[in-house]
Amino acid sequence: MQQTSLTLRRGRISAFVRGTVAALCMAAGAFALPQLAAAEYPEKPVTLVVWSGAGGALDTYGRKLAELLEKEAGWTVKVDNRPGGSGAVGLSQIVTQPADGSNILVLTGTLTFGIAQGLIPFKVEDLRLLRAMQSEPSSLAVLNDSPFKTVDDFVTHMKENPNGLKVGGHSSGGFHQYMLYQLMKQAGFESGWIPHDASGKVTLAMLGNHIDAAMMTPSTGLAQVKNGEIRLLGVTTAERSPFLPDAPTFKEQGYDLEGSIWRGIAVKAGTPDDVVAAIQSAIDKVTASEEWKTFQQEQFQDSPDWAEAEFTERVQKDLAEQAEFLKAAGFVQ
Amino acid sequence: MDGIVQSLGVIFSLSGIAVLLIGALLGIVIGALPGLGPSIGLSLLIPFTYTMSPELSMLLMISLYTSAEYGGSISAILLSTPGTAAAAATAIDGYAMAQKGQANEAISISLTASTLGGVLGGLALLLLAMPLAKLALEFGPAGYFAVGLFGLTSVAALSGGSLVKGLLGAALGLALATVGIDPIAGTPRFTFGYFELYEGVPFLAALIGLFAVSEAIALAEKHARSSKLAKSRVGHVFMSKALLKETWRSMLSGSVIGTLLGILPGVGGNIACWVARDYARARDKHPEQYGKGSPSGIAAPEASNNATVGGALVPLLALGVPGSPTTAIIMGALIMHGLHPGPQLFAEAPTLVYAILFGVIIASLVQYLVGSLFLPIMARTVLLPDGVIAAGIMAFAILGAFAIRNLMFDVWMTLGFGLVGYLMKKLNFPVAPIILAMVLGYLIESNYRTALVSSQGSYMVFLTDPISVLFLLLSLVSILVPVRRAWRARRRAALATE
Repeated sequence: MQQTSLTLRRGRISAFVRGTVAALCMAAGAFALPQLAAAEYPEKPVTLVVWSGAGGALDTYGRKLAELLEKEAGWTVKVDNRPGGSGAVGLSQIVTQPADGSNILVLTGTLTFGIAQGLIPFKVEDLRLLRAMQSEPSSLAVLNDSPFKTVDDFVTHMKENPNGLKVGGHSSGGFHQYMLYQLMKQAGFESGWIPHDASGKVTLAMLGNHIDAAMMTPSTGLAQVKNGEIRLLGVTTAERSPFLPDAPTFKEQGYDLEGSIWRGIAVKAGTPDDVVAAIQSAIDKVTASEEWKTFQQEQFQDSPDWAEAEFTERVQKDLAEQAEFLKAAGFVQ
Repeated sequence: MDGIVQSLGVIFSLSGIAVLLIGALLGIVIGALPGLGPSIGLSLLIPFTYTMSPELSMLLMISLYTSAEYGGSISAILLSTPGTAAAAATAIDGYAMAQKGQANEAISISLTASTLGGVLGGLALLLLAMPLAKLALEFGPAGYFAVGLFGLTSVAALSGGSLVKGLLGAALGLALATVGIDPIAGTPRFTFGYFELYEGVPFLAALIGLFAVSEAIALAEKHARSSKLAKSRVGHVFMSKALLKETWRSMLSGSVIGTLLGILPGVGGNIACWVARDYARARDKHPEQYGKGSPSGIAAPEASNNATVGGALVPLLALGVPGSPTTAIIMGALIMHGLHPGPQLFAEAPTLVYAILFGVIIASLVQYLVGSLFLPIMARTVLLPDGVIAAGIMAFAILGAFAIRNLMFDVWMTLGFGLVGYLMKKLNFPVAPIILAMVLGYLIESNYRTALVSSQGSYMVFLTDPISVLFLLLSLVSILVPVRRAWRARRRAALATE
C-alpha cells in the first residue's frame, strides 16, 4: 500500500526515470528468472517411470501417487511403465535423461539385491533416493494343521532335522530368502529354499501341500491368513502390525529379525536441491491427504516415510548386508 | 439369493449394458492390435474405473478381457498377425482359410467358438469354482512339468510334412527359452550383457516376427497389385449349418481344455490354444487339413482361449490368489475399491461376486453382438491389394513390437525374427513349433528344477506325484499313437503292393 501511494504522489517524475526504473526491474526479473523457474517446478509434465509392468503392486502405488500428485500438488503427471532387466531398464531411462526432476523413478527394495547380484549395472550413488512411501514385511507362514505354533517350534524341528522341511517363497536370492537366511544364521539351522516366480504361487503351493513353510508377505495370502487357514508364526516388523494384531513378531519371540521391502521414489543424482525440495513438499501434501491414508490401509501397507538422508543410509546398509548374504548363499562369487 | 437378483439388476441396468458394450468394443480393438493384449488393455482401463461402483468396474474389465481374447483372432486370420499370444494357434488355419477367400467364414467360426468357449468357461466358474480350485491346488512342480511336456508332444501335429523339421524348430524354441535369468540360481544366462534380455527373449517379438513380419516380406515379394481374394464374399455373420456341424465337437473340447488349463497359474490361454488344436486334430476325420485351412483348426483354439477367462478367475475368486498377470490386474482393481478377493468375498459382497460370475457369461454374449457388427467391415480387409496388406502388417507389427515394453530393442528383435521366419518359409520350415517350444520351455524347465530342488535331487518325484504320472502317460500315448498309425499304414501299403 505504501509503495503505491508513493508512486502516486510522485506522479510528476519524468518519463525517463520511469523508463529506467522499468528497465532495471525487467533486468532484475530476468536475472532472477532461473531461480523463479526452479521454484515453479514442475513447469512441464512430470513422468513417473515405474520399473515394473502394469498391474502389479508397484504399478498400483505409482498410479495412485500420480493421481494424488495431480490432485494435491496440481502437477501434470504421466505414468510410464518400463519393465525389464530386474529394474535396469527403468533405471537406465532415468539415468540417461537430464537431472532436472522431470523424470521420477518409482522403484522397490529389490534395487539393492539387483545391484548386489550384479543384475543392475548401476550404483546407489547414481540416484538420489527421495522417499520410501510403502513397506511390507516378510513372515514365516505354515498351514493351520501344521504342528508348529511358534518360531521356536519351527527352529527346534529344523535343528533336529536339517533340511527336513520344504521351505520356499517368492524369487531366488531375493528379500524373503534373505530373511530366512538371517533366521538360519541366528538360530543355527540348515534349510533349503524352493523359489517361486510369482508371490501368488507361494500361497497356492502351501495350500496344495507342495511346500511345508513359506517366507512371504502377509498380504500374499491375505484371505487365508484372515480365515485362519494359514498361520503366521512370526512377522519381520519391530512391532505388531495394526493390520494383523494377532500375528506375533520375531522380535517378541526373541529373534532379532526385522526387515521390509520398501517402495519409493528416486531421481537422478545431480538433481538440484531446490527441485528436490519441491518434490519433497509435493510428496508431503500427498502423504498428508486422507485419500492416501485410506489407500495405504486398503493395500495393507506400512508407511515408513523415510526422507532422503534416512532412506539413503538404510539402502546403503541393506546393500552391504545383502551382498554378504548373496556371497554366503552362493549367488555371487 | 439376494446377491443373485441384485447382481442381475446391475448387469441389466442401463449403465450395466453400457459398460459391457464399451468393454466389448475396446476389447476387440485392443485384442486385434498385436502387442496390446488383455493385460495391457486392463491396466490402461483401471484409472477410468476408480469412480465407478465396484460392480460396474468389474463388468467393464471382464467384458474387455473376454473380447480381447476374441479380438486377437481377427488380425491372426486376416493378417497372419496374432493380436494376442493366445491367438497364435488360430493364425495357422485362420490365415490359410483367408488366403482361400474364406476370411468371412473364418472370422464367423472364431466369433462363435469364442462365444461358446466364454459361456462354458463362465458356467464352469459359476457352478464349479470350489472343486476346480481344489483341483488346481493338486498341481505341484512335478505336475506342471508333466503338463508342459504333454503340451510339447503336439509339435508333431505342427510339423507339416516333416517331423525332423518340426523337432528342429522345437529345439530352437527350447534353446531360446533358456535365455534370461535362471529361474533357480538367479543368474543371467545367454544375455550377452543386454539387460533387455533378463526376462528372456520377449515372446511377443518372436510371435510377431515369425508370423507377421515374415508374411509381410513374402507378400511384398509378390506383385504389389495382385489380390487373388477379390472374389471372396463378405457380409454374412452367422456360421452355416454345415460348418457348425463340422466344428461343434472341436468347440466343446476346446472349451473344456481351455477351462481346465485356465485355472492353472502360469499355463493359461497361450498354452491352451495349442493343446486344444492338437486334441481336435487327433480326433478329426481330416487331420491332414490342419494347417491348410481347417475350420476346426480355428474353432478349437478360439473356444479354448476364451474359456480360459472363466478358468483364470477360479483361483482369484475361490482362493483370493491371482493365477495370471491379467487376473492380478483385476485383483488390483478390486483392492482399489477396498475389496479383498477370496472365499469370504461371497459373504461380504455377494452382489459383486455374482456380477463377476454372471458377467463372464453375459459379456461373452455381448461380445458376439458387437463382434458380429464388426465382422463385415473387418472381413473386407482381405479385398485390399497384397501390397497394401503387406504395408499394413508391417505397421501393426512394429507398433506392436514397440508396445511390448516401449523399447526399440524389441523392435529390432522382431524384425530379426521376421527375417528368420521368411527364410524358414522359403525352406518350408514350419514356424509354429518354435513358438510352442518358447511358450512351454520356461514352464517345463522351471518346474522340472523346482521339483528336483524340493525332492532334494530324487527323480522319483515325477513317478510318485499322481498328476505327473498321468500327464507323462498321456505324453507317451500322444507320441506313440501317430507312430503306430504310420507303421500300420505302411504295412497295409506293403501288403497291398505284394
